[in-house]
Amino acid sequence: MIVANTLFTRLVRNSPYLLIALLVVPVAGGLLGVLLPAFSWLPALNETNFNLSGFSQLFSTPGIDKMVWLSFSTSLISTLLAFLITILILASYFNSPWLHRIQRLLGPILVIPHAAAAIAIGFLITPSGFLTRLFSPWLSGWDTPPDWLFPHDPMGISIIIGLTVKELPFLLLIALGVLAQPEIGKKLRAQHKVALSLGYCPMTAFFKVVLPNLYGYMRLPLLAVLAYSSASVEMPLILGPNTPPTLAVAIMQWFHDVDLSLRIKASAGAILQIGITVILLLTWKSLEVAIKKGSAAILVNGEREFGGMIIQRFTHLLTSIILSIIGLALVAMVLWSFAGFWSFPDLFPQQLVGQHWQTAIMQMQTPLWNTLLIAITSTFIAIALTLFALEAEQQNTKTISSISGFIIYLPLLIPSIAFLFGLVWVFEQVGSQHAYINVILAHLLFVLPYVFLSLANSYRLLDPRFGSVAASLGASPSKIFWQLKLPLLLGPILIAAALGLAISFSQYLPTLLAGAGRINTITTEAVTLANGASRRTSAVYALVQMLLPALFFLLAWAIPKCLYRARA
Amino acid sequence: MQSLKINNLVLQQDNKTLLSINETVDGGEVLTIMGPSGSGKSTFLNWLVGMLPEGFQASGALYLNDQDISDMASHLRHIGLLYQDPLLFPHLSVEGNIAFAMPKGDKKERRQTITEALKQVGLEGMGQRSPNSLSGGQQARVALLRVLLSQPKAILLDEPFSKLDSQLRQEIRELVFEQIKLYNIPAIMVTHDESDAVAAKGKVITLASVPA
Repeated sequence: MIVANTLFTRLVRNSPYLLIALLVVPVAGGLLGVLLPAFSWLPALNETNFNLSGFSQLFSTPGIDKMVWLSFSTSLISTLLAFLITILILASYFNSPWLHRIQRLLGPILVIPHAAAAIAIGFLITPSGFLTRLFSPWLSGWDTPPDWLFPHDPMGISIIIGLTVKELPFLLLIALGVLAQPEIGKKLRAQHKVALSLGYCPMTAFFKVVLPNLYGYMRLPLLAVLAYSSASVEMPLILGPNTPPTLAVAIMQWFHDVDLSLRIKASAGAILQIGITVILLLTWKSLEVAIKKGSAAILVNGEREFGGMIIQRFTHLLTSIILSIIGLALVAMVLWSFAGFWSFPDLFPQQLVGQHWQTAIMQMQTPLWNTLLIAITSTFIAIALTLFALEAEQQNTKTISSISGFIIYLPLLIPSIAFLFGLVWVFEQVGSQHAYINVILAHLLFVLPYVFLSLANSYRLLDPRFGSVAASLGASPSKIFWQLKLPLLLGPILIAAALGLAISFSQYLPTLLAGAGRINTITTEAVTLANGASRRTSAVYALVQMLLPALFFLLAWAIPKCLYRARA
Repeated sequence: MQSLKINNLVLQQDNKTLLSINETVDGGEVLTIMGPSGSGKSTFLNWLVGMLPEGFQASGALYLNDQDISDMASHLRHIGLLYQDPLLFPHLSVEGNIAFAMPKGDKKERRQTITEALKQVGLEGMGQRSPNSLSGGQQARVALLRVLLSQPKAILLDEPFSKLDSQLRQEIRELVFEQIKLYNIPAIMVTHDESDAVAAKGKVITLASVPA
């Protein structure tokens, strides 16, 4: 395609390089900034000899084996559970209107930040939480809160519950997104129908025909979920045990310790964290291979019924339990945010007051402003870069290379705790002391992949003939981009913007580290408050955390509707 | 004698009658349904396999070998389907696709049956190949074997030859009708192509377009 050489086309042509650089430089620099101290090279502490003392300190830390096991087991079990429940829901409600009803109920959970979800689950399972109140004293006989360790249980069951509930909607929406693609979805549905006509019961037909083909499309998101959960900080910090915590939480504490020599141990821990994530990904791959090998004969043995009714009933029960957990957790949070005096085992507070909201709103003005400023700026940059990079694809008439495609998702696959501390070191080295700019750049690392993921499909599917027609009428590439493509893609752009904002709102570790603890957002405040004294204020912050992304998604949905209605 | 009996079927959408059929198809026979788009051909097939979409109403009964299967679940009807796309399962080999369709049984015997069947349709030695590596005509033959070896009591053909080029179309069409006769199965074919109807040598019902 011959394109005129204007400022716009040059900008567009170079945007993919800028996009890749913005992702590669911080991640690679961050990894280097952790790798060098891990091998004891930290000039700030007069450590300039490479050795393994950081690792020997790390492995002699009391409870390190438990930390590693907790990180490994909670992420593997929660991802496995979320995946299994996703598959059961899909299998039981495939081709049923209930599938989209469940999607509508679970969809909003996707935009709830991890911290807010953890706080909500905490309210439910804590000894004086909504769950025990629901069954006390009439069933349990408890007049005082029971003596149990939830949340913060040493086995990490609370973390598993939290991560599973949060990961489930993501995986379900990914699968439904694949099924909604006309080519793939239509083919899989037709193959399911063929299996039914060959005498397979619907459930077996799903497992033997749809799942093996659907799984290929879910693999990358599944690995991203696994990698994320292995190194996540918010959930284990709010729901996990303290002695010892998960490795990611311990690394964070070591990095923040006043004793700067712990940075060498923390860096060694970050390298260990990468190792755990890699082992987890390899474990998943091995499980995949084993299941594929073990099921090869079962797929073609002619067995047409595998207890479909029992599985279906079990799934109905499981889905009801999960929806109830989510519903009850949200109700509990709303109640706590308005609760006056609320003694155990009363199900509802004796009085409802608006005082916690008033106090919290007074306190949250700066964090709210910071949250919006950082999110809007990082999302704006992400949207602009993504649109230019996608336009460059069309001008070059070839899609982005697979290596570049992989790099875009790099920050989602590498544990953030492993490169964010190094990134802080990079900021220090280049003398970037402006906390806001550092935080925005750090947020961009996570916002950009999601915005790209959300927009790429719509942009690539836009009929190229619109552009050709406009060009034949004399429109310049810049006019075609601004006045034709962007208005046509208004809906997807707004959804991508809402997603970018939601991702930015939910960032805890990047804000904390890149901002050197000087920038408070709603999320950093909510996490701090979650382990503090006031459950009521914590509930208000968590609700605001949920309402913010919901508000922007609502706007993204409503704006195109209003505009199109006005035109009609 | 195998037979598929459609007893006083009236298919409606929003209280508007799409079609009325009262027919019996005997084993080895092919009943051809023709008609313009929107005349209810696909809806009729969906009713036959027990997958009538929401918004449609049906009265009448469906008998397969004198058994009323009108309210039977789709997967229990033993009615095989052959579409215009072969819809072979890409995660299974050619042999796997056919084995998938066959009833449970001795592994060795099933394998032997598949080998013989592949030989019969000129696909000898292709059992371990991936379906994606086959040509369109080869895929159509595998799809046919898959339906036939599932031992259906009736077969529905939904525009089964429309995506094949004219030479292949004739060849596959002959093979399909020959096998239907050989297995003595009642078949219903939906098609736009009159040459399909002629080749089927059975009764033809032409549906009228439904006024909007």
